[in-house]
Amino acid sequence: MSLKRMVLVVAVLWCALITLLHLKLNLRVQFFGSKLAAETTQKFRVGFLPVTCHLTCPVTDFINKQMAGDGFFEPIRFNGWPELKEAYLSGYMPATFLLAPLAMALREQGVPVKIVYLGHRDGTAMMVHKDSQIYRIEDLKGKTVAVPNRYSNQRLLIFKALKERGMSIKDINMVEMPPPDMPVALRSRAVDAVTSGEPFMGQTELDGYGRVLYLTKDVWPNFISCVLVVSDDAIKNRRADVQRLVDGIAQSGKWLDQTMDHRMEASEFVAKNYYSQDPRLLRFVLSKPPDRVKYTNLAPLKKDFEEIQALAIEAGIMQGTVHFEDYVDTSFVKDDNAIQPYAWEGTKPTNQ
Amino acid sequence: MTGKLAWTKIALPLGVAALLLLAWDAAVRVSGSDIFPRPHEVLRGIIQLIEQGLLLKYVVASLFRVTWGFTLAVLIGVPFGLFLGWYGWAFQAFNPMIQMLRPISPIAWIPVAILWFKVTDKAPIFLIFLASVFPIAVSAIAAVQNMQPVYLRAARNFGLTQLQLFRRVILPATLPQIITGIRIALGVAWLVVVAAEMIAVNSGLGYLIIDARNAGKRYDLVVAGMVMIGLIGLVLDLLVRQLEKFDEVRWGYANR
Repeated sequence: MSLKRMVLVVAVLWCALITLLHLKLNLRVQFFGSKLAAETTQKFRVGFLPVTCHLTCPVTDFINKQMAGDGFFEPIRFNGWPELKEAYLSGYMPATFLLAPLAMALREQGVPVKIVYLGHRDGTAMMVHKDSQIYRIEDLKGKTVAVPNRYSNQRLLIFKALKERGMSIKDINMVEMPPPDMPVALRSRAVDAVTSGEPFMGQTELDGYGRVLYLTKDVWPNFISCVLVVSDDAIKNRRADVQRLVDGIAQSGKWLDQTMDHRMEASEFVAKNYYSQDPRLLRFVLSKPPDRVKYTNLAPLKKDFEEIQALAIEAGIMQGTVHFEDYVDTSFVKDDNAIQPYAWEGTKPTNQ
Repeated sequence: MTGKLAWTKIALPLGVAALLLLAWDAAVRVSGSDIFPRPHEVLRGIIQLIEQGLLLKYVVASLFRVTWGFTLAVLIGVPFGLFLGWYGWAFQAFNPMIQMLRPISPIAWIPVAILWFKVTDKAPIFLIFLASVFPIAVSAIAAVQNMQPVYLRAARNFGLTQLQLFRRVILPATLPQIITGIRIALGVAWLVVVAAEMIAVNSGLGYLIIDARNAGKRYDLVVAGMVMIGLIGLVLDLLVRQLEKFDEVRWGYANR
C-alpha cells in the first residue's frame, strides 16, 4: 500500500511542479495578479514565418514596441506553411502572412479570407550549385527543382519562365520542400536547383556553394510571393484593428526602403528577437543587391493578381471561379502614396 | 565486490559513449563536412543554450507536455485496457478499432491536432497522448487475458466479491505487464516530442530542433536538441525501471 501511495504522491508532485515551472518559464504567467495573460489574449494575432517575405510583420511589431512601449498585435511565428495555414483555418489568429496563390485558392475553396495588403515585392531567387552546368533557365531541362509549396508563387514563376522560353513544366522534375531544408539539399546536390523566399537562398551564397540562376526582379519584375490576409470576420468586427495593422505594415515597409541603415538595423533586431538567425544572413539578403527584395508599392493591384490567377489555373491549383474582387479587399488602402514611413531612427546611437 | 559492480555499471557504458563520440568526431573530420557539427561544437551549442537560459525553458516545456500527455494516457489507457481484457464482448467490439488507430503516426495527426486545439499546448499533449495510450491499453488487455486461470479459480473458491477480485487478484497479477507497457509507452511519448512540437509552439526541445533548421547553418543546435532528448530519455527509463524493483511488482513475475 505504501508503495502505491508513494508512487502516487511522487507522480502528483511531479505533475504540479512541471506545470508550475512551465507556466512560469514559458507562458510567463504571473501567479500574483494574472493581468498579463488576460491582456495577451485580447491582442490581434498575426501569423508569420521567418522569411524576408514576412519581414514587415516583426518590423512593425518591434518599432511599435519601441515607439509606444507595447505592440498592438501579437506576431505568432510558425516554422512551416502547413502549420501556419492550419492554425489560420482553426481560427487561432484572424490575420496572417500567406502565399498569394494559396490565399486565392483558399478563397475559391470557400475559406473566408481576404487579401488586404502585400508582404513585399521580389525577394526570391533560384539557386543552383556553383559547380553545376546550369547557367540559363533552359539548362534546367531534365533537372530536379525544389519549390516551397505547390501553392507558392515561386512555382508559378517557373511555369511563366519556362513558357516564355518555349518549354513546359514537363521538362523539369519539380519537388516540394520546406525552405529551411533547401540549403542542405542543394549542398549535398540532392536537388539541382532550389527556389524560395529569402534568406534561405542567400544562405547558400554566403556559405559558398550556391550560385544565383535568377533573381525574381530579372524574370518577373515586382514579383509577389506573400500577402497579408485577414478573415472576413475580422474585417467585419475588428475593422479598426485591421486598419491599424495594414497602416503599420505599410509604414514599416516604407521605413525599410527609406535608407540602407534602416535595413541593417532591422536585420539586427529581427534576426535576434524574431527569427533566431544569424543577423549576417538578413544583412546580406537585404543589401546584395538592395533591390533583391522591396517593401514599397505594396497596395494590391488587379493586374498583378490576374496574372497570378491565370498561371494558377494553368498550374492546376485554381479553377477560376473567383476573381480579384472576391479575394482582395482594397478598402484598407485609401492612398498608398500618402502613407509615411515610421518616424523612428533606430537604436543605433545607443547601441554601438 | 560492490566496487567492481559499480565499475562495470558505470565505466562500461561511459567507455562505449566515449568510443562513439570519438568515432563521430573522426567521421566528420574524415568526410571534411563543414555542415555536420563535431562533438565539441555541439557541446558549445549546449553551453550557449544554457547561457541564454533557453535550455531549462525548453526542457521544462517538453517535460510538461510529455508529463500530461502520458499521464492522460495512463489514466485512460489502463482502466480501458483492463475493462477490455476482462469483458470479452467489449474486446470484440473495440479491438478492431484500436488496431486500426494504433499504427497511425502522430505526424499524421498534426493537422487534426492544430484544427482542434489550435496552436496551444493542448495540441502537442494530444499527440503525445495518442502515441502512448495504445501501447498502454494493449498491454493492459494482454495482461488480463494472459492471467493464469488458477488465480481466478482460487479466488472464486474463497468467495471474493468483484471488487475484491479486482483489487486483490487482477490488479496485482497484471501490474508487472502493465508496467512494462507503461515503460514502453513512456519511451514512445518521449520519442514523439519532436513531431509534437513541430506545431507552432514556441518552446521545447522539438521546437529547438525545428527552430535551428530555420536559423541557417546551426546544425550544432539540431544535434544539441537530439543529445538532450536522448539524455532525458535515458533518465526517464532509469526512473521507470526503479518501479520494477518493488516487491508488489515482482509478485507477478515470481509466480510465473
